[in-house]
Amino acid sequence: MQLRYDEDFIEAAVFVCANGRRPGVSALQVARFHRQREKLYLILDPDERSAAFFHLHLAWFREWGLEEMLMRLVGDFPLLCGELDVLAVRKARGKTDEGAELYVGERGVKNAILALRPEAFAGGNGVTDYVRHEFMHLNDMVDPAFGYEPELQLPRLNPAQQRIARERYRLLWDISIDGRLQGAGHKPVATREQHFQAFARAYAFWPVERRDEVFEQLWSSRTPKHWELVSLIADPRGLREARRPEPGGSCPLCDFPTFQWADSSALRPELLERIRSEFPLWTVEQGLCGRCLETYEAIAHA
Amino acid sequence: MSNVFNWQLGREMEYPYEAAFPEQQFAFVFNTNRCIGCQTCTMACKSTWTFSRGQEYMWWNNVETKPYGGYPHHWDVRLLDMLEKANPGGQTWGGTPESLRAPYGTFNGKTVFEAAQTHIGPEGANRALGYLPADDEWSAPNRYEDHPAGNEKGAKGEYFKGGERLPEHKTWFFYLARICNHCTYPACLAACPRNAIYKRPEDGIVLIDQERCRGYRKCMEACPYKKTYYRGNTRTSEKCIACYPRVEGRDPSGGGLPMITRCMSACIGHIRLQGLIELNQDGTWKEARNNPLYYLVHVAKVALPLYPQFGTEPNGYYIPPRWVPRPYLRQMFGPGVDEAIERYIAPDRELLAVLQLFGKDERICDRYEIKEGPKVFEGEVRGKKFEIYNDTIIGYAKDGTKIIETTVEEPVYVRPERHANSI
Repeated sequence: MQLRYDEDFIEAAVFVCANGRRPGVSALQVARFHRQREKLYLILDPDERSAAFFHLHLAWFREWGLEEMLMRLVGDFPLLCGELDVLAVRKARGKTDEGAELYVGERGVKNAILALRPEAFAGGNGVTDYVRHEFMHLNDMVDPAFGYEPELQLPRLNPAQQRIARERYRLLWDISIDGRLQGAGHKPVATREQHFQAFARAYAFWPVERRDEVFEQLWSSRTPKHWELVSLIADPRGLREARRPEPGGSCPLCDFPTFQWADSSALRPELLERIRSEFPLWTVEQGLCGRCLETYEAIAHA
Repeated sequence: MSNVFNWQLGREMEYPYEAAFPEQQFAFVFNTNRCIGCQTCTMACKSTWTFSRGQEYMWWNNVETKPYGGYPHHWDVRLLDMLEKANPGGQTWGGTPESLRAPYGTFNGKTVFEAAQTHIGPEGANRALGYLPADDEWSAPNRYEDHPAGNEKGAKGEYFKGGERLPEHKTWFFYLARICNHCTYPACLAACPRNAIYKRPEDGIVLIDQERCRGYRKCMEACPYKKTYYRGNTRTSEKCIACYPRVEGRDPSGGGLPMITRCMSACIGHIRLQGLIELNQDGTWKEARNNPLYYLVHVAKVALPLYPQFGTEPNGYYIPPRWVPRPYLRQMFGPGVDEAIERYIAPDRELLAVLQLFGKDERICDRYEIKEGPKVFEGEVRGKKFEIYNDTIIGYAKDGTKIIETTVEEPVYVRPERHANSI
């Protein structure tokens, strides 16, 4: 596996060190770094100059132990190292832009990009915890035992529901990763309590016992399967299988989730006839949402 | 550190270099009451100076919506917080305002230079207290545009009523147009380890020597107003150059006379007035009663420096927005705010005339005179008598050329009944 860097990233990262924001960088080294850097301004050709800066910044990136830190972290994931062709590190534009992505080429060549804010190198071990967490994501993606699929198979979900399902997937995966990291003696990105609070918010509709049970399974050091996570995100309340109207369930006519079910037992015969002409398999017991009732009443009046 | 006199603080303060003053100082007044946030100034600057590769995030001129907006994000709040932490509870004003040497009283707190010694980097103590904004803070230059502040809310289902009532709006925001202040004691200059930043002796414009700059970014860290920018492809820092070729009179359209900057001349709201100020030996302004900037800053006292407590003696002055809660304005413009707003809301005869000079000509007005005209209005503004005289104000360039002649009342031209495009 090759490690490659975006030019902007290493320049900004070494400047974090040179500005005294990362502990363990001596003033003498900083002075030497600046002296070497100043000389490069004498190169007139812009491309040559740019290349020279890149090599100098890379040398100091190594000198200040930043590359060694990344290599050590990725070295903890032998499967990932064996599977990846290139791991590229780029500069993230902000906290929300940080993360790791896997790219699989035509012949199955796997490359990954890790986006990091250079400021993350300023002090503390937060950066190592975060990078390890992201490498765990990548490792799961290349691990056949996890069975990762890039597209979540979520049939019969509308775009809004798919987005919610993806957010649930991300949450469950993060919980599982941090649980495994803690089990292995590493510091997780978020604590068990923080994860549990987020999980309880996302699955507030479950009984407490079920919530505790699923969370414990995720937080245990066991590596889950991709399909297990998917089974928990698409329809956690089992509304698809409901035989009667449930708050938040989908209306059998328009398929939109609703909390406003109409009283279908009191529908006039002409309305029933009209609905059945369009939905022959629909039964009164399945119910309909308030919006559909309005629509069919308007049609009946017309 | 040397001791230099900062008249905006009414006292001496520490600065890394000895005081040295230019023959004239580039200065400007922005009337925030007139700014409509149209960003014409921003684009005038962008299309003149910062349209090239590597300058994408450079906005030498920007207009931000206060209190939430800022470029980089929250630049002022962050520095005020750092100063407060460096000197808890001590960032206060006191003393009695007096003439040219202490028009706002005395600042008791610490400036960015005085508070810097507690911030130690690998090379020792910083020369100015500051911080280097991260990349995401430089994104979205007009973030929070038109977002108002207000701590009172309306009843459920109703808009909050009465938020617009003067003297202070309860729901408020205002536009703050900003360029480099070409400070008398620039923090960027103080912090540069290469001495690449200098203040021109002829007009006090602060420039970065591109041949000397080696991209340390210390200037970005030190400038309290965050008005220097790093250019990734040249690996040097750049900043507002005050359109110095125009100030030097080298723009052909000025006929050899010193001209105002592009951002000032493009301003459609006529909020800007630029000038060159002559200084005394101690850096205070030489008395020039009929110079419009001198009049606005030292006679009418309606124009105030932006965050004078930072200690760089900025040469940009602002007429504060009259509807904004005063504690916020006092923090931003110092203790002269109340007096400035009182004068501005019911301007006297001379002030009303001088306010007509804003944006009237692209050449720099050095001196004005007023020809008295008839009274055209008499009334009351918040219990104060207010009269309007249709005086004529005439502005002259440094060499005596008449460049502006305008009246207080906008002339009304009645179109003849029959003309070319009559129906």
